[in-house]
Amino acid sequence: MDFFYTYIVLAEIYVLLGLSTNLLVGIVGIFSVSQAAVFGVGAYLTAFLVMQTSTPFLVAVLLSSILCIGLNILVTLPSLRVSGDYFVVTSFGIQLLATAVFTNWTGGTGGANGLPGVPAPWIAGHEFVEPSEFAVLATGGMALGCIAFWLIMRAPFGALLRAIREDELAVAALGKSVLRAKVSAAALAGAFAGSAGGLYASFLSFIDPSSFDLDASIFLLTMVVVGGARTLAGSVIGPFVLLALPQILALIDIPSSVAAAARQLIYGLLLIAFMLFRPQGLLGEKL
Amino acid sequence: MLWLHLLVNGLVWGCALGMVAVSFSLVFATTKIFHVAHAAVYGLGGYLAWSALKHGMPEWAALLVGIVACAITGTLIQKLLYERLDRRGATHLVILIASLGLSAVMQNAVAAVYTSNVLQFGLPWAARTTAIGGVLLTTAQMLTVVAGILSYLGAMWFAHRTVLGKRMRAVASNPFLAEITRLQPRQVHIAVMAIASAMVAIPGVLVPLDLGLQPFGGVPILLTATIAMIAGGVGSISGAFLVAVGIAVLQNLSLLVIPGEWSIGITFGIFVIFMLFRPRGLFAG
Amino acid sequence: MSAYLQVEGLNKSFGGLQALRDCSFTVAQGRITCLVGPNGAGKTTIFNAITGFLVPDTGHVTFQGISLDGRTSQQIVRHGIARTFQNLRLFVDLTARANVLAGMQDHVGEEPFTAIFRPFHTARALAAKQDAAMAVLAHVGLAAQADMLVRNLSYGEQKLLCIARILATGAELLLLDEPTSGLSGAALSDVMALLRRLQAEGKTLLVVEHNTRVVQQIADDVLFLHQGHLIAQGAPADIIADPKLAEIYFGGAI
Repeated sequence: MDFFYTYIVLAEIYVLLGLSTNLLVGIVGIFSVSQAAVFGVGAYLTAFLVMQTSTPFLVAVLLSSILCIGLNILVTLPSLRVSGDYFVVTSFGIQLLATAVFTNWTGGTGGANGLPGVPAPWIAGHEFVEPSEFAVLATGGMALGCIAFWLIMRAPFGALLRAIREDELAVAALGKSVLRAKVSAAALAGAFAGSAGGLYASFLSFIDPSSFDLDASIFLLTMVVVGGARTLAGSVIGPFVLLALPQILALIDIPSSVAAAARQLIYGLLLIAFMLFRPQGLLGEKL
Repeated sequence: MLWLHLLVNGLVWGCALGMVAVSFSLVFATTKIFHVAHAAVYGLGGYLAWSALKHGMPEWAALLVGIVACAITGTLIQKLLYERLDRRGATHLVILIASLGLSAVMQNAVAAVYTSNVLQFGLPWAARTTAIGGVLLTTAQMLTVVAGILSYLGAMWFAHRTVLGKRMRAVASNPFLAEITRLQPRQVHIAVMAIASAMVAIPGVLVPLDLGLQPFGGVPILLTATIAMIAGGVGSISGAFLVAVGIAVLQNLSLLVIPGEWSIGITFGIFVIFMLFRPRGLFAG
Repeated sequence: MSAYLQVEGLNKSFGGLQALRDCSFTVAQGRITCLVGPNGAGKTTIFNAITGFLVPDTGHVTFQGISLDGRTSQQIVRHGIARTFQNLRLFVDLTARANVLAGMQDHVGEEPFTAIFRPFHTARALAAKQDAAMAVLAHVGLAAQADMLVRNLSYGEQKLLCIARILATGAELLLLDEPTSGLSGAALSDVMALLRRLQAEGKTLLVVEHNTRVVQQIADDVLFLHQGHLIAQGAPADIIADPKLAEIYFGGAI
């Protein structure tokens, strides 16, 4: 059963990341391969706060979200200034730089060996240790994220974002600030990624740079592409489908030495296939 | 004399990087596609040459196999992926995601077949060193410099002196006009992808002679090369090549003060400075 | 007393091309002013300069006595000036109603904070705006098409929707870039009738127009632009009857 609950918890955490990536890639329409970096900062900060300063879990997650809001605005800001293709460079650069920091700043992150011993969350005198208990917490986090996403998409803010994706200049001609809307979306994406990071670190109790590298960013992009851009349903279904994939792969007899490469190869194939044959993903709108 | 050694290393590495930057620039300026999978094509060449060598081919033929195979791969990428997406009216973002996917597929296929461990060519002649002005250079390094300079001159000659090159520049400057004047942009795109993929395979086979093969080495190299292209001014072959050499030298000299694992920081810092002060590049028209 | 809209000494060059050359004119309140001139005369550039889409090299724009120099396009809409585009720039994957809603100002929940933390307030306010949007659509005669995707509307309907969308901003001065181009028959008379109705309701219109018959029928004043410079101004009949202007206008064509 633990196996099943672990799958549920991880999928729910990745739903938050899916919402984050969907906001940037699907809704604002910018290509980003650095969302895993923001996710990682959230995870490392939460780990640091609960381990070194014994900050309560929820406060640590909140602080991580706030830092990631700022960070994501900073990371996305160039895309609002420089043209799309230059931002591809920025995005790759930020991801590689973040990996370098996670791997080489041994004092803060434990370096390539990772950071073990992140304690399980304590909330109101209860410790969430077992995957089945943590599932309550993760479900709560996912539900909050989904409700927030649903609310903004049906509010005028969602309409504004859709309009911006179609024609920025026309939106500006109607007296709206394109910059403010995009920065708001980036901030929201940062909050989602940061809280996902906090949940992730506390759940696994061990984090290392491999969860937050370029491959992880590509995985996040694959989730959104497979699930479908710009819809809540798409962001939810993507992680559940893609995290089930390694379990299915485990049934096929692949030597463990190539398992990681095979998984990443399949994500790549999915990206190509969906772009060619189904750019709207399973339950989304056309990219 | 550490600095001299680093300077020379930088120049050698710059020639390799220059070939990546110039070839990427040819593709980007002509097709407008940010061809992320170029990184994987770079990596592929070396591995195929390695396999050809292990199957008993003569050394020169094995290196040639790597280069020709990459040219064919580039053609296929253009025909089977980019052109199809373009026909379906795919947006820029969609093509970019597909290119990223292709890059992941190619690199991981290589990793699955050859494992992620570093593979050595183990050719004695390539590792033989010659002292030039107090600095020892391997034969592979000298070949890289010669190939880099020849590739740069070749690209200049191609773009400015050949019919295909002129068609390429016409397509790059105005694809719509090129379409209606029967310059046949689709054909030009395929030709450019073939040439650029062959060119990126040259450092792809020469650099591993020295440093060995790694399946995931291409991404940071391509990132540095695209930074060189942008800082040099998109569309300028000289700009891409010269800035690539400049960045490589800076990267190497920075080792005097900053440990090597942070060199991505140096590269990215150069990009940020250019974005702030000269976003259109040094040699922009 | 200063004019309703005053444009003074605008200059703008793009590289070697002088798009506007010491261009000055005024627009009177409550009138329909047509901006005419051959292609490349700088008509759209004037629109861009008035609405903050480009910064002129020199010159001033004043609206109701307030200087618009250095204002952003958002601020200019808030001052009551809105523009359409020659190539429409509608949001074609949204409904007609959503396009009009996008033009309305001061939405509650147009930023994430209110949208998330005051959902009921946001929903109530949006419902009220929906009604207002329907009223605007009905006003231009598109009530029946409210929930259709814009890409499925006819060209004439799209042209009307462009006007509806900027009416929704609440602007008093409407800059219309070729509102009738590509239209004929009923669609053309629909747009012309709408323009007159808007004037009757107190709006001021500055219209780029190529069709001389349309100019004759709707314009109160005509501004004639040539090579980025205002060369004539007057009643439509006078401008159209001027053989020198006709020569410039039809220049190479005849």
